[in-house]
Amino acid sequence: MSSPTNSASARIQLPSKPRDTFKLVLSTVFVVLIGWSLVSVDLKWSRLLDAPADMWNLFGVMFDEFPWTSEERTRMIGLMWDSIAMAWIGTIIAAVFAVPLSFLAAENLVGRPIAWVTRQVFNILRAVPEVILALLFVPVFGLSPMAGVLAIGVGSLGSLGKLFYEIIENVQKGPIEAADAVGASSVQRLRWGVVPQVAPELTSFLLYRFEINIRASAVLGIVGAGGIGGALVDAIRFQEYDQAGLALVVVILGTIAVDTVSGAIRKRIVAGRAVEVGGPDDPMLAVSPGAALLAQEPSR
Amino acid sequence: MSDERLQLPPKPKPSLFAIGVWVLVVVFTVITARRVGFSFSGIIEDLQRPNPVLDGLWNIRWGEMFSERSRKAFVETLQMAVLGTTGGVIVSLPLALWSTEVGNPYVVPRVILRSINNVIRSIPDLLWAGLFVLGVGIGALSGLLALFFFSLAVMTKLTADTLDGIDMGPIEAADAAGASHSQMLRTAVVPQILPAFSSYALYDFELNLRASAVLGLVGAGGIGNRLDFFRNRGQWDKLWGLVFMFFLVVFIVEWVSVRIRRRLV
Repeated sequence: MSSPTNSASARIQLPSKPRDTFKLVLSTVFVVLIGWSLVSVDLKWSRLLDAPADMWNLFGVMFDEFPWTSEERTRMIGLMWDSIAMAWIGTIIAAVFAVPLSFLAAENLVGRPIAWVTRQVFNILRAVPEVILALLFVPVFGLSPMAGVLAIGVGSLGSLGKLFYEIIENVQKGPIEAADAVGASSVQRLRWGVVPQVAPELTSFLLYRFEINIRASAVLGIVGAGGIGGALVDAIRFQEYDQAGLALVVVILGTIAVDTVSGAIRKRIVAGRAVEVGGPDDPMLAVSPGAALLAQEPSR
Repeated sequence: MSDERLQLPPKPKPSLFAIGVWVLVVVFTVITARRVGFSFSGIIEDLQRPNPVLDGLWNIRWGEMFSERSRKAFVETLQMAVLGTTGGVIVSLPLALWSTEVGNPYVVPRVILRSINNVIRSIPDLLWAGLFVLGVGIGALSGLLALFFFSLAVMTKLTADTLDGIDMGPIEAADAAGASHSQMLRTAVVPQILPAFSSYALYDFELNLRASAVLGLVGAGGIGNRLDFFRNRGQWDKLWGLVFMFFLVVFIVEWVSVRIRRRLV
């Protein structure tokens, strides 16, 4: 509706909508890709319609023997505990090896070429799924949890190394200079200038990686590398639906339990201890009278 | 000036929490190391034995990268990743909105949705694939469904976390202008998260591509089927060829995706 009071002036022209060729091209490419996949993928889409009913039936037979027998439960929980142990030891191994390797990837410690090569190694390790590593390790280390532990260790090495060198490159100079100024030895400098800076972030990421690794180690048994995945793949092969159901429940509960504990610890590490300003724990007040006097001098 | 020595401030005591965590870490490490039977000498011993996998790597069959069957398997992997991601991304947007305060004022449905999502997220992708193979049967459809649920969980979680931190200004403006709830979401919420959301979608695609390579190990289609085939026959030379092909594809996709994501955000 044009307003009569403004009839003299021409209609206000809206500025033309901004056009973003980049996004336009991108969307077109994706639409084409999706369309091609939809049309050419080798499956009967009609089966998708039956899927909900099929899954419903599956859940029916999976939870047929709902509480299961106590030995079945003990066995499955033991296998999940194997998976958790594999994930933890794998994470620890990765961390132990990632520290020295990450020094080789930090540009401020070694030259650019060495750093570049080390980073490419990290990138390759990050790209391989743990299951493929386990598949390659099983013939060497046997059908045992060790194959799984090493798969997880090698698989996590890339991402932990990447994080470590990023931390090393971003260490603040201040505390190190302060340590130097009071005459610290190189070990003391590391202990008081560097470690306190990086420890919280490092620990918290380590725990986070552990949470990721639990999910990985729960399926490594599929290629025979130990843990609960083996029971699951057997259940699938021999169509023991009730065992598959039990394995599923144990995996979900175990994962959520570990996530909850580890998440709570991570939160606490990152937040630190809440210190009430002026309260009994306030470090600013825990100084000698002389220091307090010095603090009162006007700063220049 | 008095000659009194300055007293050093007392050393801060290590917090009970820090000690507790360290004790826990050490104890847990010892227990779990025993559980998996960890030994360095065992590893070295195993490495000294003849090693069919490494032999395969030295005699790698590059031809396997281009054989007809491998190419087909790769195309299937790619298709599963594309479709699984698309489905998961589309469904995750409303789910993420419903599981946050801006999109859903009711606490109870919100909490229920988040808990369901946590359960879905705790199931690894290969386990999803195994379940669907049991229920729906062997083939690409099972892999597709597995990737769909996996994407759904990841995308909903990431998007919901982003939604928790958005700027409330545009929402108030939309409310003040008399927008309905859906109009408010459309004009004040979605545009704010769209760049991050598209970036997550690409990241999710990278994850899915990597995951879809192994789904075939439980019979859910893609190159995993070929990997399983070569593994069972002990043809490690061919398996390595396939693994290198996989690297190549993942690297190219990641290279492109990282560049697009940088431009988006």
